Amino acid sequence: MSWRARSLLRRAVNAAIMLGIVATALFPILWGLSTSLKPTERILEYPPLLVPDQPTLAHYRMLWETGIGRPILNSAIVSAATVALCLVLGSLAGYALARFAFRGKQGVMLAIVAVMSIPLPSVLVPTFTFLVNLDLNDSLIGLVLLYTAYQLPITVWILYGYFRTVPEQIEQAAMIDGYGRLAVLRKIVLPLSGPGLVAAGLFVLTFAWNDFVVAVVMSSSESVRTLPVAIYHYLGFFGRDWGPLTAAAMVSIVPVIGVFVVFQRYFLSGMTGGSVKG
Amino acid sequence: MTGVRFSGVSKRFGAVAALDSLDLAIEAGEFVSLLGPSGSGKSTTLNLLAGLIDADAGEIRIGERVVNDLPPDQRDLAMVFQNYALYPHMTVFENVAFPLRARGRSAAEAEIEARVKRVAGMLGVTELLARYPRELSGGQQQRVALGRAMVREPKVFLLDEPLSNLDARLRIRMRRDIKALHEQIRSTIVYVTHDQAEAMTLSTRIAVFDKGRLQQFDAPEAIYNRPANVFVANFVGEREIALLAGRVERDGADARFHGAGYALLLTGAGARLAPAAGRAATIGVRAEAVAVSADGPGAPATVAMTELSGPDRIVYARIAGGPEIACRAEPRSTFASGQDVRLRFDPERLHAFDPGTTLSLIP
Ligand SMILES: Nc1ncnc2c1ncn2[C@@H]1O[C@H](COP(=O)(O)OP(=O)(O)OP(=O)(O)O)[C@@H](O)[C@H]1O
Ligand SMILES: [Mg+2]
Repeated sequence: MSWRARSLLRRAVNAAIMLGIVATALFPILWGLSTSLKPTERILEYPPLLVPDQPTLAHYRMLWETGIGRPILNSAIVSAATVALCLVLGSLAGYALARFAFRGKQGVMLAIVAVMSIPLPSVLVPTFTFLVNLDLNDSLIGLVLLYTAYQLPITVWILYGYFRTVPEQIEQAAMIDGYGRLAVLRKIVLPLSGPGLVAAGLFVLTFAWNDFVVAVVMSSSESVRTLPVAIYHYLGFFGRDWGPLTAAAMVSIVPVIGVFVVFQRYFLSGMTGGSVKG
Repeated sequence: MTGVRFSGVSKRFGAVAALDSLDLAIEAGEFVSLLGPSGSGKSTTLNLLAGLIDADAGEIRIGERVVNDLPPDQRDLAMVFQNYALYPHMTVFENVAFPLRARGRSAAEAEIEARVKRVAGMLGVTELLARYPRELSGGQQQRVALGRAMVREPKVFLLDEPLSNLDARLRIRMRRDIKALHEQIRSTIVYVTHDQAEAMTLSTRIAVFDKGRLQQFDAPEAIYNRPANVFVANFVGEREIALLAGRVERDGADARFHGAGYALLLTGAGARLAPAAGRAATIGVRAEAVAVSADGPGAPATVAMTELSGPDRIVYARIAGGPEIACRAEPRSTFASGQDVRLRFDPERLHAFDPGTTLSLIP
């Protein structure tokens, strides 16, 4: 076989493998999308259709009418607040760890890694009692604080790693140009850390947006229900009513996909090119 | 106008004494080069002055102010880093304007624009104001870095090997530009370099460092003509100085040098080498202190090899019974390897050092 044919073959095999992976990952989602668009009586029809022949938005309308707006809003508030809080606190902590030598730094780093490896369910009950004592259970603020506590270690860790790639001389130049530490962090380090901030932010966002376990344990009133909990309640109320359930699942997936699409260029481009020579 | 003074300043990094009890007083408006080999403590000195690192001991003053405990942003200096350290996410304009926008200084936008434009004009980067640093050549980045430092009209300018990334031609041109800049703005400039030609051409005074210690602080001519010790004599000058160990005896107007297995008559050097007479001494001979000729008076020697070095021809000659030394000859002269020649020593350019302390014996 010539090298040309061999390289073609290799590319074909590669493409086939990747297509397989993509199909496997996407199939359940596409199936859910398809189901959410079928009229109720045709969902369990055999043989199943991947592309519905009579698409309908009835399930989505029904979600709206039974008040899915509130959980969506709750989830959005909780996620946005958690991301903001994690990034602000994580930037400050990560920067301190990346740039200052202080007593006990090794201990702090070790603690961060250790905390990251505690499985969440094991602290659920003590956290609940703690939250009740603070009178923060069954509230969005309580959820935001908890999510921040869970996600802060990984945020600090990601940002710490990223900040260390910012050349220190750029910061020194800014200090000599008349800027204090906080101003340097705001005007130099953070703008150069776009990819790090996006990566950490998406990490936190996906957790906060998707979390079910913590939310279902910590909140009981309908007014503070987040989207994943609300979806679970659709399952509860309507038995095996797949239409509204898959429609709700689609509603919860779309914003995350949107955010990833918007920020994907940050994963690809480093931003420190051309700053220092040598 | 602001001077700078180091008094007994030391800095250690772990076991390394990066700087050992430095005393250095720089007058207002001076252009001082810190010269020394790699690792001699030049950058450490500059970073201490800028406040990027803290001194272990001693006092640093800028003007009348003791600055040991002031953070860099309050020391009112400007610095050009070895690798420029431009802000990659800002355009050239924003880079140069950045120091003007610092808190407590903020000028009006119109004024900022005027000043940035003026500096850009001076440095010839007006065309580049809208570009990002990654879109500039090394020489252009370097000028932008200079511009960022100049725009604030600082009292004290710090430059850490700003030319080391440029090619030889551009380096010489920028050298001239920096000198012109100093003449124009008359700020105090502290300039780090390990290139002695750079230090010689630019400075009013040179501070020579070795292993964290200041070796000599003097005008360029004095550093060259009256090196304080063997290190300085060896470090400045185009090539290594020949060091001959032996004894010096005065013989009226002349001096005689007795090395291991050879002797030299140093015509006319009696007075200059008098302080070294009658004792063990190391004689330092630069190539330009030795004239080589095919015949006539002088010490007999044999040519080992020759090389053309810029405008000069350098002849390496072995003194009969002694070591090989480099001599400078006319570029058009021709000497063949193995040829017998005569060496004559210029008495005013001979140096004598104490073999123990390595300090110069000639005041
Ligand atoms: N941050 C640091 N940590 C540990 N050692 C350091 C540090 N900075 C400098 N040193 C050491 O201190 C000594 C002096 O360093 P310095 O940077 O002042 O040298 P230099 O004269 O500027 O050399 P070069 O011409 O290579 O830049 C060196 O031995 C160096 O290894
Ligand atoms: Mg250095």
